[in-house]
Amino acid sequence: MQKYSNTDKIVHTFAKGMEEGGVTWELHNLSNRKEWDAAREAFINNERTLIAFPLYVECVPSLMLEFLETLPKEHKQPAELSFMLHGGMDEGNEFRLCERFLRELPKQLGCSYGGTLIHGGSFRIRTAPADQVAKMVTPYFEMGQLFAQKGNFLSPEATKFTGMEQYPWLVRKMVSLLFLKKVNGEFEQFAKDWGCTSPLGDKPYSE
Amino acid sequence: MNLVLNTLGASIDKETIIALLPDKEVEIIDTADMNIAHCMGCNQCWLKTPGICAIKDDYENILKKLVKADNIWLVSDTRFGFLDYKGKRMMDRIMPMLNMTIGFRDGWMRHELRYHALNIGLLYQGAADQALLEDWCKRTAANIGGHSLGAKL
Repeated sequence: MQKYSNTDKIVHTFAKGMEEGGVTWELHNLSNRKEWDAAREAFINNERTLIAFPLYVECVPSLMLEFLETLPKEHKQPAELSFMLHGGMDEGNEFRLCERFLRELPKQLGCSYGGTLIHGGSFRIRTAPADQVAKMVTPYFEMGQLFAQKGNFLSPEATKFTGMEQYPWLVRKMVSLLFLKKVNGEFEQFAKDWGCTSPLGDKPYSE
Repeated sequence: MNLVLNTLGASIDKETIIALLPDKEVEIIDTADMNIAHCMGCNQCWLKTPGICAIKDDYENILKKLVKADNIWLVSDTRFGFLDYKGKRMMDRIMPMLNMTIGFRDGWMRHELRYHALNIGLLYQGAADQALLEDWCKRTAANIGGHSLGAKL
């Protein structure tokens, strides 16, 4: 599953940026339960923890919630918890409820809040050709450098990374007319290439 | 049809749940002892077998009932001011009810509906952020074309 993960692609690009900024890091994959013990240890021992994840039904994925429920409040030193939140849609507003939740979460885990880096548009990371994917995730390299420099996502540069809060009316019209047909067509093509034999709008449980 | 997904099991009885709901004609599914895995975001329900989840567990029967439901009530415990993982897991697995394809609805970019709109309500226990849960119901319902039925303690 990891090879298909948008989060994984984003995190590795971000980490290269952090490395350039002189920061050392270790990575734990929370989608693999076998790594939970090591991830918990890392959370207890490290000064800074960064959790990257995709938006699931307006908030944190249930798997991540289960992991969070296993974390202790104790740390070996003052700790800061930051987040990288991404999702399929472009508009920043989509992430705001989750961001509210994340703002209140670190203190419940004995940490201070280091901000949330938010960015949308990640559906196409999964479905676009490799050269386009590399271009899409490149901005995360710069954000990795920024994190290395600032130590958190509380800076105006990190806030700006989210992009547009909502498409203005005229842009919505233009996107509907010019862009959505192309994007939805790419999804159809990707599905066919993946072996899908049904229309994407199939209703398998209809009577 | 009103469908209730009770993740609290025997710690709340059927009569208590029904008393908290505006409509008394409901089907309650006790999910506490069911085998239900987390959604892993594999996208197969959108791109490989549209509408069918790749995970073969007890949620498949719930999906078949969701297709016939108008209103869905989630009964859940809370943690960190929000749903606990068992409650959130029920809603994360709802993805096959939507399509991969996107469009604008109510001024926002959203996934297109695979079936029909669903209204969503929440009955929760524990010290949660009421405003956050109410907003979560509104947003989640809007994404599936419906409206919030409210979040009640």
